[in-house]
Amino acid sequence: MIGHLNEETVISLRDINKTYPGAVPLHVLKDISLDIRKGELVSIMGASGSGKSTLLNILGILDNYDSGTYMLDGTAIRDLSENRAAELRNRMIGFVFQSFNLISYKNALENVALPLFYQGIGRKKRNRLAMEQLERMGLADRAHHLPGELSGGQKQRVAIARAIVTNPSLILADEPTGALDSITSGEVMGVFRELNESGMTIVIVTHDPGVGASTNRIIRIADGRIEGSSDTPDFKKEQ
Amino acid sequence: MKTSIFDIENWQEIGATLARNKTRTFLTAFGIFWGTAMLAMLFGGAQGFEGMMRRNFAGFATNLGGVFSNRRTVPYKGFNKGSDWDITSQDVEIIRRLAPAIEYSTEMNLRSATAAYGTQTKSANAMGVEGEYAGIMNPVIIEGRFINNSDVTNERKVAVIGKNIATSLFGSDSPIGKYISVDGIYFLTVGVASQLSEVSIGGRLDDNIVIPSTTLRRAYNSGNKVNFFVYTAPPGHSPSDNESVMRRVLATAHSISPDDKVAIEFMDISEQFEMIDKLFLGISLLALFVGFGSLMAGVIGVGNIMWIVVKERTREFGIRRAIGAKPLDITVQVLSESILLTLVAGTLGVCFGALVLGIADSLTYDPLLGHAGFELPFKTALIIVGTFFLLGSAAGTVPAIKAMKIKPIEAINDK
Ligand SMILES: Nc1ncnc2c1ncn2[C@@H]1O[C@H](COP(=O)(O)OP(=O)(O)OP(=O)(O)O)[C@@H](O)[C@H]1O
Ligand SMILES: [Mg+2]
Repeated sequence: MIGHLNEETVISLRDINKTYPGAVPLHVLKDISLDIRKGELVSIMGASGSGKSTLLNILGILDNYDSGTYMLDGTAIRDLSENRAAELRNRMIGFVFQSFNLISYKNALENVALPLFYQGIGRKKRNRLAMEQLERMGLADRAHHLPGELSGGQKQRVAIARAIVTNPSLILADEPTGALDSITSGEVMGVFRELNESGMTIVIVTHDPGVGASTNRIIRIADGRIEGSSDTPDFKKEQ
Repeated sequence: MKTSIFDIENWQEIGATLARNKTRTFLTAFGIFWGTAMLAMLFGGAQGFEGMMRRNFAGFATNLGGVFSNRRTVPYKGFNKGSDWDITSQDVEIIRRLAPAIEYSTEMNLRSATAAYGTQTKSANAMGVEGEYAGIMNPVIIEGRFINNSDVTNERKVAVIGKNIATSLFGSDSPIGKYISVDGIYFLTVGVASQLSEVSIGGRLDDNIVIPSTTLRRAYNSGNKVNFFVYTAPPGHSPSDNESVMRRVLATAHSISPDDKVAIEFMDISEQFEMIDKLFLGISLLALFVGFGSLMAGVIGVGNIMWIVVKERTREFGIRRAIGAKPLDITVQVLSESILLTLVAGTLGVCFGALVLGIADSLTYDPLLGHAGFELPFKTALIIVGTFFLLGSAAGTVPAIKAMKIKPIEAINDK
């Protein structure tokens, strides 16, 4: 634990900069500073190309940044080895993607159990824990179906079950409703809210103002800078 | 790390992956299967083929030498070019005393003759030999005994008849103790003999009548003339080691010019066998070369497939990496696939090769000569599978390392 950090802070970014190298280097994130507290449900919104996914990838230890500091649950995230990064992702972060990213030849249960496999947890216990999460998502009867046999909403709920099966400190979702119709999006957001109510910290990147409105806080990003951060008062009303 | 190649889950996963692409898995596995089977069959086949060829020489001494006389081609000491001469039994005795590298030796005299018993007659070769003939040609004694030195010394009228002669003259009765006539002279039959080898000097024993050399010379009035003198060299020597001594003895006794390269003719079977050895070495090398080719084809197949697998599954590996797989986990996964594939298909291939060799061996089995030796020693089988295993893993290593370097975001974004 680092002294100056609030115990409640899960994510703490200070002056993060990221430039994609290339013939024309692209300075995508510019002095991003941001705190996300434990138990928050936050959305990141902004125009296409503004750097939302880049930011989320850095938060998820999927990508490096050039300067600044990033503390995740008290751990400094900087120049980690591939092994250490994999371990931290596995234990601390659950990912939900727009395109689900389920493994097509594994059934729902096996997909959900996979992060536990990489923790070295035995098969029986793995399947039990995975089943619990599928039940929580209302998908117990779909446990032995392949992703191809599931609807978009069901796939995303399997992906969420996989994200939470390791009981991570943080859920990161990049456009989790981007591929879903509005009714299904509403259902998926309902799942995120329930998870949030049970204490989970969730960061969602979205284009959809409706999705943004159903989080407690919207962080707006424009051209690689944080434009502003505002609580959503409607959120409480919706409950 | 806990996820190792020993984790049963890992193997189940590999099995599932291989089963998902049945055709591709089958073709790759077949490449390996064929490679190991080919290698096994070529190895065992070359050996069996050699065994079959060597069986033709069974019982035939491979270090055999001989000497015989030809007409003089150079006039010398009053003898004309074209004049005849013969080796004598006295020469043989001197040679035996002086030659440095003779193990067994015998004089050999041959006459075509007619053998008769009762009303049955049969034309045959009468062959006069000494007792040590048995040490040179290893005849198979079917019944009775072979000619011995006492028969020779005492000029006994005894005969060992070839098994075909025995059948012609006696049918299924035993010829032992019966008197047969050879060109009108009666001989007591003391043995029936055959030979294993397909090659022989002085005709196949099965069709010969073997009698003491002294008896033959007297019976045919050939005095002390000897047709051939044949001998074996002891281990570590070559038959030709004796040639200079023999040439000196014979040239001196029979006034043969030192320049006459034809009058005294030597043969050295060991030279022929050396050529045959080289031939078999060549065949083995060819088999090895072809086998190595099919091995490489199989191995390259594995490497190739692993490249495709890694390309195809880049996204999957990215997802796995995102949810916690370490680079080594991915490497192990890719490598275990190629290892499992090479081990299973390679073992099956070697077993198939051994089966084919086994069938070939029983088909070529000869009750008298035994097995040809179409077989794969267990150690060789292990070496073949082991080599495939090593090369297969090596071929899988490059793709596996590429898979290890896959970055999760690049893979996930790669749509
Ligand atoms: N790997 C990369 N290499 C170079 N440039 C990149 C890379 N990834 C993203 N970019 C560029 O960086 C900028 C920000 O990309 P990013 O994906 O973060 O945007 P975004 O806000 O998520 O957009 P969208 O809403 O369309 O998903 C874009 O201009 C994009 O083209
Ligand atoms: Mg994006």
